[in-house]
Amino acid sequence: MAVTGKLLGASLAVAVAALLPSHPRAQDIKIGGIFDLTGVTADVGKPFQQGVIDAVAFVNENGGVNGKKIALVGVDYGYKIDQARAAYKRLVNDEKVVLIQGWGTGDTEALKEFVTQDKIPYFSGSFAAPLSDPAKFPYNFFVAPTYSDQLRAWLAWVKKDWGSKPGTAKVAFMFGDNAYGRAPIAAGKAYAKEIGVDVVDEEVLPPNFQDATSQLLTMKQKAVDYAYINVTTSGVRLVLGDAKKLGLGIKFGSNPYGFSEILVAVAGPLAEGVTGVMPDVPYGDPVPAMKNVEAMHQRFRPSEKGDTMYVRGFSYVLVWSEALKRADKAGQLNGPGIKAAAETLRDFSTGGLTQPVSYTSTDHRPTTTTAIYQIKGGKLVKVAEYTLPRKPDWLGL
Amino acid sequence: MRCGDFRESYSEDMAIFDSRLPRVLLGLLLALLAALPAFATTYWLDVLNRIFIAIIAATGLNIVTGFTGLISLGTAAFLAVGGYTTAALAGKAGLPFFVVVPLSGAVAALVGLVFGIPSLRLKGLYLAVATLAAHYVVEFTVTHWDSMTGGVNGISVPAARAGGLALGDDRHIYYLILVLLVGLLFFAKNLFRTKVGKAFVAIRDHDISAEVMGVNVFRYKLLAFAVSSFYIGVAGSLLAYQARIISPENFPITVAIDYLGMVIIGGLGSILGSIYGAIFITLLPELLRLGNDALAAHWPAAMGLFSQFKSIVFGLVVVLFLMFEPDGMAARWHHVKNYWKLYPFSY
Amino acid sequence: MEFFLQLVLNGIVTGSIYSLVALGFVVIYKSTGVLNFAQGEFMMLGAYVCLALTVEYHLPFPAAFALTMGFMAVLGVLTERLVLRPMIGEPVISLIMVTLGLSAILKGVVQAIWGTDLRPFPTIFPTEPVQLGPLPVSQGYLYSTASVALLLLVFTLFFKFTRSGIAMRATAFSQQVALSMGISVQRIFALAWSIAAVVSAIGGVLLAGVRGGLDAALAFFGLKVIPVVILGGLDSIGGAIVGGLVMGVLENLAGGYLDPLVGGGAKEVAPFIVLVGILTIKPYGLFGKVKIERV
Repeated sequence: MAVTGKLLGASLAVAVAALLPSHPRAQDIKIGGIFDLTGVTADVGKPFQQGVIDAVAFVNENGGVNGKKIALVGVDYGYKIDQARAAYKRLVNDEKVVLIQGWGTGDTEALKEFVTQDKIPYFSGSFAAPLSDPAKFPYNFFVAPTYSDQLRAWLAWVKKDWGSKPGTAKVAFMFGDNAYGRAPIAAGKAYAKEIGVDVVDEEVLPPNFQDATSQLLTMKQKAVDYAYINVTTSGVRLVLGDAKKLGLGIKFGSNPYGFSEILVAVAGPLAEGVTGVMPDVPYGDPVPAMKNVEAMHQRFRPSEKGDTMYVRGFSYVLVWSEALKRADKAGQLNGPGIKAAAETLRDFSTGGLTQPVSYTSTDHRPTTTTAIYQIKGGKLVKVAEYTLPRKPDWLGL
Repeated sequence: MRCGDFRESYSEDMAIFDSRLPRVLLGLLLALLAALPAFATTYWLDVLNRIFIAIIAATGLNIVTGFTGLISLGTAAFLAVGGYTTAALAGKAGLPFFVVVPLSGAVAALVGLVFGIPSLRLKGLYLAVATLAAHYVVEFTVTHWDSMTGGVNGISVPAARAGGLALGDDRHIYYLILVLLVGLLFFAKNLFRTKVGKAFVAIRDHDISAEVMGVNVFRYKLLAFAVSSFYIGVAGSLLAYQARIISPENFPITVAIDYLGMVIIGGLGSILGSIYGAIFITLLPELLRLGNDALAAHWPAAMGLFSQFKSIVFGLVVVLFLMFEPDGMAARWHHVKNYWKLYPFSY
Repeated sequence: MEFFLQLVLNGIVTGSIYSLVALGFVVIYKSTGVLNFAQGEFMMLGAYVCLALTVEYHLPFPAAFALTMGFMAVLGVLTERLVLRPMIGEPVISLIMVTLGLSAILKGVVQAIWGTDLRPFPTIFPTEPVQLGPLPVSQGYLYSTASVALLLLVFTLFFKFTRSGIAMRATAFSQQVALSMGISVQRIFALAWSIAAVVSAIGGVLLAGVRGGLDAALAFFGLKVIPVVILGGLDSIGGAIVGGLVMGVLENLAGGYLDPLVGGGAKEVAPFIVLVGILTIKPYGLFGKVKIERV
């Protein structure tokens, strides 16, 4: 009991220390961060968080927000909705943040009503299409084409890759049984029908699956030519490995959280030829802003390898810090002010890290241009780019 | 100054409070809880709400596991049943709070009754795994019955409504939960002074002996599951009202494990134990997280480190507690209380 | 038909790893009466240690593997000595909880040391599939199935013919009798835990090798093995083997035939439903010892 007591005492002491508010200077702009560092998407959540933290440091060192510094209050929510909600309440009501950098699809959608009610601009790592419809999610933003547009672009690539071979390309969708996994499936099926690609199979990958053989066997039976794997990197690796074991010749593609340098690192030769959607350039791509990204990465994380998730985190901060600057200039450094300022962005350049970003008060799709990359010789090589029409009836779908 | 227990009749022995002081203290505590929302920040109010909900569900689990001796890993499933029933009744049918909550409990009780059936043949760990099966069946139903549950995307729950008033605010919910909590705890405490409660305990202590003594084991085991699931279903309903959106991600198997942790650390077969356990297990990660965040505010790299530390500390506390106080916090509290009650003549 | 055969074959190979890990559960349960919920974390830890030895310390795989086994054996003994020994005589539910606490600690330690990213695991098996009749089979799975079969044989012989093995069976039969025959029950408990730790680590390394990558998700495998041991009967080694194979095949058949019908998820649920069905007929699993209670 004495030991337990001491332990309790220690944790209480830490907690008491925590209750004393941190003292940022009055000038600081408080931004909340809800990250996944320990949950099921931690494989990609961690580099993203590092990118955000380092980019905040970058912005602060380069003039800040019109001289004001950004203070990031980050929380790890372990990809659990109730923890995200608790973190959100604390960030908004107690820490009084003016903007939140969020993460997953499920939690972002779950927080919708609170976000709308509290008028807190919420930048999610999720690109689910409904979040881009201000009629339903007025305060939600993200920096990428929607998941749906990404899948549409990939299907367009499939169509092109199939070329003039006889028949139509047979496509399967493999996705996780969660909001993120299922997000683009309906849109993908509709678009495939439109352009003449056959979706012959849908396979669900359960959470923390260790084995995708039965799913792949079904796909083999249906003679699938192409498959889009809509889970994070670890899952993609597993599917690729099992496909190899079964000797399948399916051409795989993946989404921005499954396809990155991390996939090359973990899948090695298995990843060869896999295509993927990339809303951000790979780490080290010679675009103008990359030198800043590399400089920060080398300074803070010299022993680690950079990847596109880091670039993504970085680009998010560049976008919302611009909104903060504009809101600050207008003297409206509050939720509605930042939202309005963000909606004035027109083809805002992140220095090449992403496509130029635009938001309007009726359309939060930042871009409809999607780049398709392929892994060739262990490198991410851009093979195509599609700009989809900004159809009003695709807004939110 | 009291110097011992002098109970002269059975009714005295059965009494919940053996003197006036605990009554007064309990009254004071209730008054304090009633006044708390005036001071608490939104965050702490949220934590308090979650603690209260956890107490209700932990009491429910304790009824079946602690008092009746049937290990259940189905807590998350019954919470989900309560929560989704609430989403349907309050959202689709538009019923008011005080109708929805008991109905949600009743539906959970019904489901609990069905999943309790294996307990007639299975015992111990085998039964625990059968309830684990119940968990997966409910999870499967919830993710696939899209029209009713919203599938993996979850479903939103309207603000609590009673007598034409919208009570969506955390403060309102707090009072609603508090009232239910007090009522349910009072019922549970009294349940074990009745025939039914004593039958439960008899089954836990030795089911064959209980049967020999004339306890209908079949009936009472199912009844224990039903009552327990009712409590958990009510907790699930309140959870839905408080969170305003529920999805399958709210009810993973780890939730069931956490609840088992609550009743074991708090004290099996003790209402007070459920309360302590629920407070402890809900509060521990919050405190650790606060420590983490405070550290991260000054040293951002700490954010990643501390989240693993959280898991380690949680595990350590559980292990050390079980090693040094296997009977739970309630037993420790009892020892401390008795020591001071009789101080300095503790013999 | 080929589809069916392929599913069954695949079920057998995944099932063999279930059997191996289930063996760890059974060895502990049989001799100490504890259901070890930290088994999955043992697997994960073993795999990580092996990975660190090969990648960070550049040891050849066999040496790293041997060292990992040694480490896990010591860890098993320490776990028993430090955590489980003080808990002797506590109710079964407290014992479950203590292993759950242990699993939280191990998970946290692994994540604190090695992080949460998916790490490439050294290729211990060639990735090219081989043809087994008309069916392509992964060499990794073949090797792992073969090693599992070998290990199970070794353990069967161990329990039948060695002094320690017989002592363990005696302890499982009755601790009092074993004590009076001069068997050190404490030593047997320690032995059981170290065997379980080693066996799960082998399972972890095999699984990580077959997957080619390693992250915390591996620990969930432990939870999946629990229905396996229950199906076979908690105290039956033969049951663990049969249970593992049955569950592996069931899971794959459900995945192949039911998943497309219900939109996924059947692979997870179907084995549990079958399990409950079997339990209602045989309440102590297929081969578990029926407890006869007396008042």
